[in-house]
Amino acid sequence: MVKKRVPEWLNSSLWSSSTSNEDDRRLSVAVQPPSSSTTTSQQSNNNNHNHNHIHTSKEAEVVVEAEAEAEAEAETEIETHAPAGPSAEDISRQAQLLSEISKKVVNMRELRRIASQGIPDTAGIRSTVWKLLLGYLPLDRSLWPSEMAKKRSQYKQFKDELLMNPDTEIIEQIDRDVKRTHPDMHFFSGDLPFAKSNQEALKNILIIFAKLNPGIRYVQGMNEILAPLFYVFRNDPDEEYAASAEADTFFCFVELLSGFRDHFCQQLDNSVVGIRSTITKLSQLLKEHDEELWRHLEVTTKVNPQFYAFRWITLLLTQEFNFADSLHIWDTLLSDLDGPLETLLRVCCAMLILIRRRLLAGDFTSNLKLLQNYPPTNISHLLYVANKLRVQSLG
Amino acid sequence: MSYDYLFKYIIIGDTGVGKSCLLLQFTDKRFQPVHDLTIGVEFGARMVTIDSRPIKLQIWDTAGQESFRSITRSYYRGAAGALLVYDITRRETFNHLASWLEDARQHANPNMSIMLIGNKSDLAHRRAVSKEEGEQFAKENGLLFLEASARTAQNVEEAFIKTAAKILQNIQEGVFDVSNESSGIKVGYGRPQGPSGARDGAVAQRGGCCG
Repeated sequence: MVKKRVPEWLNSSLWSSSTSNEDDRRLSVAVQPPSSSTTTSQQSNNNNHNHNHIHTSKEAEVVVEAEAEAEAEAETEIETHAPAGPSAEDISRQAQLLSEISKKVVNMRELRRIASQGIPDTAGIRSTVWKLLLGYLPLDRSLWPSEMAKKRSQYKQFKDELLMNPDTEIIEQIDRDVKRTHPDMHFFSGDLPFAKSNQEALKNILIIFAKLNPGIRYVQGMNEILAPLFYVFRNDPDEEYAASAEADTFFCFVELLSGFRDHFCQQLDNSVVGIRSTITKLSQLLKEHDEELWRHLEVTTKVNPQFYAFRWITLLLTQEFNFADSLHIWDTLLSDLDGPLETLLRVCCAMLILIRRRLLAGDFTSNLKLLQNYPPTNISHLLYVANKLRVQSLG
Repeated sequence: MSYDYLFKYIIIGDTGVGKSCLLLQFTDKRFQPVHDLTIGVEFGARMVTIDSRPIKLQIWDTAGQESFRSITRSYYRGAAGALLVYDITRRETFNHLASWLEDARQHANPNMSIMLIGNKSDLAHRRAVSKEEGEQFAKENGLLFLEASARTAQNVEEAFIKTAAKILQNIQEGVFDVSNESSGIKVGYGRPQGPSGARDGAVAQRGGCCG
């Protein structure tokens, strides 16, 4: 049941040292294979090519049906799509993103288009882009300082007012759960002062959210959604931004959850906006794209999608992949024009289709075990297949 | 793998009492000091042998938090056995047992066998609930009882197996209609159906679809 395989570089002391030299840090990332990737064959000549060209060449390369059929050879498939350090495409995308977020007024459409391919996790790009995508940073750069100052002082006020009179029951539970957040990562776990202060920040955010949202309060799993945001913002190389990570995370968490909060509301479990209805949508999506697989899962082997998709959906896939891969998936969830929920459902559907061979050969027990312990997957490829599902939907 | 019977279990109890760790110890024989939160349900399966009969246990490990109760409730139906878990070092998890039991009585098969487990027996120095209190609660409510430790594996095997033995005994006494799937029991292929306790020896050649 060990689901998360955290790559060594995430546990590197460079991440947990606030005094680390920025260049060192960049280097340490650059030499490690991040999950974002493209095919190695594209590396040599795409350096200055624009994004559209890359996209076309990728499209020509694979079609979803062929992928699904070739799933039995998934290992080989992964080989050919294997990440091999930051590719030329990554570097080019990094340059495009940097140039986009340096404009006087950010073009959101353009930003979404580039970011949906994955955001290189260097130079604080992801931190800034996520804040823009979540509507926390205004598009007009000249407004950033005043807007940030306003929000951060508002958060300080929340802290002063809401952390004063403790509701011990909820605080104890949040405290226990925060300690269970990514126990395998030094950033979140352990007795080092850095981990302790990070845990404290997560705890404050969850308590304040619970107090401001008495209808939902705190629901387990919110900690898992909070973790990627805080991790990305806290590791922003801009010291001022890193220092304000707690406040920034709070507002972005509220914004992100606004699209999903009904999943955390028990009263809505059976309503059209609740979690059960979202799971039904996933089931319908699968039926639409791969009826054979849908029938085998739900009719023949009686694997109710709730058994696996409940966690996939409520946690936005944060427990199914290693941490770096989850961040990559979130780049797409946050930037896709269709919005996080529709995009999430497409990714979930693609997850099923990618392992269809094994599922079609499996019985109830083996399928459920496989789906509750999703095998390591090339994320770029997964997102590519998910994207194809939209193209198909549109006809 | 072939089996004579398949029993469905559900593991319930407050968050953080060690439900997932008990399951992991039973299915994988290992202990994870800090386990991820369980969101929704997790699934495990293992074969055991009772009275030389191969029995497959299909175990549903549920989320403990109150917010997930409406989801958890749907797993009671069709369970033949339940492990109701509390943490001997946290009094409140013992105090909430009555509410868990009420939920079980309301949503489960009335013949479901329930094993009460006082987990974390290795932390006896931090004990907040005495063994006698656990025994007393179990006796008053007609539950089996064991103190166990997912960390040291003490009594973990026993907890799952004694529950299965109790279910088997109920089958042999004709308490269950094993042909009814909502009993949480499935008869393996090749085994004559019915409540007979006879050792007919017709051990299944092939498991069912869940084999």
